Amino acid sequence: METLVLEAEIRKDKGKGPAHRVRREGKIPAVLYGADKGSVPLILSPRQLGNLLRQGGTHAILQLQLHGEELTPVMVVDFQRDPVKGTLLHVDLQRIALDRKMHVSVPVVVTGEPRGVKEQNGVLEVITRELEVECLPLNIPTHLTVDVAALGVGDHLRVADLQQLLGEKIHILREPNAVICHVIMPKIVEEKPAEVEAVAAAPAEPEVIKKGKVAEEEESTESS
Amino acid sequence: MLMPKKVKYRKQQRGRRCGKAWRGSELAFGDYGLKALEVAWITDRQIEASRVAMTRTIKRGGKVWIRVFPDKPITKKPAETRMGKGKGAPEGWVAVVRPGKILFEMGGVGEAIAREAMALAGHKLPIKTQMVSRREFL
Repeated sequence: METLVLEAEIRKDKGKGPAHRVRREGKIPAVLYGADKGSVPLILSPRQLGNLLRQGGTHAILQLQLHGEELTPVMVVDFQRDPVKGTLLHVDLQRIALDRKMHVSVPVVVTGEPRGVKEQNGVLEVITRELEVECLPLNIPTHLTVDVAALGVGDHLRVADLQQLLGEKIHILREPNAVICHVIMPKIVEEKPAEVEAVAAAPAEPEVIKKGKVAEEEESTESS
Repeated sequence: MLMPKKVKYRKQQRGRRCGKAWRGSELAFGDYGLKALEVAWITDRQIEASRVAMTRTIKRGGKVWIRVFPDKPITKKPAETRMGKGKGAPEGWVAVVRPGKILFEMGGVGEAIAREAMALAGHKLPIKTQMVSRREFL
């Protein structure tokens, strides 16, 4: 397996202003914590981090290279993105012990076209898109693949079915009955004629909830 | 049209519309979504028009999720009325939408159909929008 080295420098100034200055320079603020050691504020290059994660997946084990220190195995456990542009704003890195089991959420990827969609005009609905799993850091899968080709209308796939395929190395931390995906018949919404719609669209005011005090007073007078 | 079943007060103040949508800015249900790039009050009629446009485009396949709800009452004074004499009567309902908000989501259809449906839905709205799809990380 290729070693993914992430270079970082220690951030001396903390807070909102210095973090903005870091972003203005094209880098992002980050924090390193875990393994019973203190937290260290860092500065990362979002471009390098993005390339490494595209190479190794979201849960890739990265070797953090701090100036003048040994390589530390870390993992991205959380990140914040700009809601409009989608650029990274902040990243949380966690030190990991390779011999200790971890809890991580892994995306579920659905493959194949269900029989119910192909032959019966059903719709495949994915209910669970991420599952939390417990395993050793080196066994963390990039994604959990689910084959749905055999599903007909009304059929579903549960966590227990996926757990059987995964074996013992990866344990899914979710109730076995939870549904991952199912094939349903789409609801047909009958379009009303324009006149009916216009009548329905007449402004009707919703019920106004009375103030709490009035209700309480009424209750007290009734009881007395 | 979408509107609340019960409200605590009939009329509301206008409020502020600054900032970005820090909540509801990621896809939660479907494979594709329509993201707002501007701030606006989206009316119940605009939401309904977008929904109709999307469901007509995808025909019988697929599923549409509406991620915004018009819970803010809007009042209006009658025409040719002098100023004063109190706030106007409730006229309609709007959803306050900030940049980054996912307005609609769609699943169970191919990308080409989803793109066409989202474009038509976007044309029914008073703001610039962008189609987004699920991506692994960056």
